[in-house]
Amino acid sequence: MVIEINNLYKSFKNVKAVNDLSFCVKKGELFAFLGVNGAGKSTTINIISGILPKDSGTVVVCGEDVDKHADDVKAKLGIVFQSSVLDKRLSVYDNLKSRAALYGIFGAQFKARLDELDELLELKDILKRPLVKLSGGQRRRADIARALIHEPELLILDEPTTGLDPQTRQTVWKVIDGLRQKNGLTVFLTTHYMEEAAIADYVVILDAGKKVAEGTPHELKTVFATDIVRLYRHIDEASKLFLSQGFHVKRERDYVDVEVENTAAATKLITAHSELFDDYEVLKGNMDSVFLRVTGKDIREA
Amino acid sequence: MCELKKLWALTVRNMKCYFKDKFLFFVSLITPMILLVLFVTFLRTVYLDSFRSILQAFQFVADDKILNGLAGSWLLSSVMAVCSVTVAICSNAVMVQDKIEGSLSDLRTSPVKGTTLSLSYFMANFLVTLIVMLCVLAVGFVYLAVVGWYIPVGDVFMVLADTLCCVLFGTLLAGVIESYVSTQGALSAVSTLVSSLYGFICGAYMPLSQFAEGVRNILCVLPGTYGVGIMRSHLMRGYVEELGRTGLSSEGKTALLDAFDGNLYVGETQMPLWSMYVILLGTCALLLAAYITIVVLQNKKHAKRK
Repeated sequence: MVIEINNLYKSFKNVKAVNDLSFCVKKGELFAFLGVNGAGKSTTINIISGILPKDSGTVVVCGEDVDKHADDVKAKLGIVFQSSVLDKRLSVYDNLKSRAALYGIFGAQFKARLDELDELLELKDILKRPLVKLSGGQRRRADIARALIHEPELLILDEPTTGLDPQTRQTVWKVIDGLRQKNGLTVFLTTHYMEEAAIADYVVILDAGKKVAEGTPHELKTVFATDIVRLYRHIDEASKLFLSQGFHVKRERDYVDVEVENTAAATKLITAHSELFDDYEVLKGNMDSVFLRVTGKDIREA
Repeated sequence: MCELKKLWALTVRNMKCYFKDKFLFFVSLITPMILLVLFVTFLRTVYLDSFRSILQAFQFVADDKILNGLAGSWLLSSVMAVCSVTVAICSNAVMVQDKIEGSLSDLRTSPVKGTTLSLSYFMANFLVTLIVMLCVLAVGFVYLAVVGWYIPVGDVFMVLADTLCCVLFGTLLAGVIESYVSTQGALSAVSTLVSSLYGFICGAYMPLSQFAEGVRNILCVLPGTYGVGIMRSHLMRGYVEELGRTGLSSEGKTALLDAFDGNLYVGETQMPLWSMYVILLGTCALLLAAYITIVVLQNKKHAKRK
């Protein structure tokens, strides 16, 4: 295991930010940690990385207890924070050089590592430019380079793609996927994008500091997600009929969505009312509906 | 060894953060620029008139070259003593900005000791302030060389030593004050307050002799006053000695030094130069103890978090 957390508690005055949290992250997996703002995700990350004290519980990272061997833990993890925390007026090169020194990486060793990172993240064009003059995507690349400068075993990504355009998000994910495939890097991810969570190996959903669900995306979708049967004709009749039968129905301009428990229920519905189903599709439940079902909150609106 | 290399890397990083922040650099030079503008516009004339009226009482007419140099050395001593504190306060803003912008959290996720981090801020602040003050001193010396140079070599070295003392005092004061500043608003308030007030309360803008005796005695309790005092002693002495060589009586020299804080008095007692060093360096020792205590307490607080 790369991370083992047991019965973790953390309060800020009367607010229980993290409440009896336990989970494990296996080596090499992409682990998604989901929750609305204020659910306790960043608090947990800050505890894992030794920035914040915990009230009680145990946190073991890469086999080391965070309480007893903080420096060993710090040497093994890299963090990409929600917003860039590099020095805005310094060049990317200066930022990376000063951060590398904190891990004992100097001179030729730094240059060699910089070359590796340049190959991975295409840094050459931005190396001499101050951070303040970079675009959001370029700044993110610099952040990732900083997190990887010491070749960590665990990469923590705290909402790494929030605020980025789709193309840059894709670039960031290409880099992360490359790292996982090439180096077997373990990635601990928090995100607001459910499509990013859907590709994770394992997901933990947090609500008000408590773990409310966990499993692989497939397991979660199987247990919590509802399917949608979408009809494109006979919209009025279908709406009336399925509403009267107690289904959750959503009427749109040229189609109507009927929410059903699972694929079997969808099949049953279609065969029972075949006269209405001459143009339809069945949409499998996604991580959005899992999140909504588990927490009662829409992650995009929270 | 590795921790020392980390310390130096962090120190260089902190210094670069200061020098690359043009606004911060500009703000820290506001005080010397204000003093320079005041000097060029009217202070120089005021000083020269005051010198002449004092010398007139002793029926002595001085060479303009010496008086111009004396006025310049008075201004330079004010600038050096005040800016050692104001520049240090601004330069130490890097430490506060690291807290505000989250860089400190990033630094703390790396395996570097808390004491190394704190020491790097102190070292960077000391070096930055020293570099800026040596540049100001160089400009001041060039000006004095142009208008009239009468400073003996020994005093030049003493001024360099005084600069070190004042920079050490300013750096420690900034470190202690700004250890508890963690918002942009508080940082601006501290910088503005110190920049605008410090010059007055240490007698840099106006000679202490012109204050009422009660106020003067209160200001003499403040250690910054002695920073100005040692600077004035070594920068003005050569000019006053030159006046003596050209015929000014020792009473005349004393009157001139008394009026322009070349001699400092607490009540009726004249403070000897060595006592000014004792007070200034003693205060540095106290500030250092306070700074170390703050760093140790803050690191303990952080260690409890882990």
